[in-house]
Amino acid sequence: MEGVLWYVLTGTRGGANRVRLVRAVDERPRNANQLAEDLDLDYKTVRHHLDVLMDNGIVENSGDEYGAVYLLTDRVRQHWETVEEIIGKVE
Amino acid sequence: MGIWIDVARVSTALNVVLLLGLSYVWLDNYRQFQSKHTLGLSVFSVLLLAQNALAFYIYSWDNLLSVWFATKVPAPAWKAMLALHVLEFLALVFLAWVTWD
Repeated sequence: MEGVLWYVLTGTRGGANRVRLVRAVDERPRNANQLAEDLDLDYKTVRHHLDVLMDNGIVENSGDEYGAVYLLTDRVRQHWETVEEIIGKVE
Repeated sequence: MGIWIDVARVSTALNVVLLLGLSYVWLDNYRQFQSKHTLGLSVFSVLLLAQNALAFYIYSWDNLLSVWFATKVPAPAWKAMLALHVLEFLALVFLAWVTWD
């Protein structure tokens, strides 16, 4: 999981924006629309990054319907020190 | 024998292009994160970029070696060399695919 976190969040082109999304979702679970607004990102960009984060088991959503709320998985909570280390680097 | 050196030039040139893309992403991430992980990826891509740029230079411009590779290297040796270049190209395509995301 640590390797996946490092690669998905710092090894790829969209890494920095995915770090922002993880931070935002950690603050409080939100849907894609709210995340796009709060982070001033394009809705489609947010959806893409959320799909990547879901694909890698970093976030999960409350259901498939429109407006689903995204939250962190238990798995990423167990490796939260790694995420904090990554977040700490961009601050 | 001309065809072999052309394939070698094209495959090393394509590797250079892919590695420029990877270096761009990884150096940019290193600038943002300043972590050991992003430093490792950056150094890796820059060194592999140097390797492919050097190969392209040798095949295309080096006064002595470009002529030697174009005329003196027999086909079986070229086939083995090209297998290495093409495998590296395929490896880089997949790495770029997951990284340019």
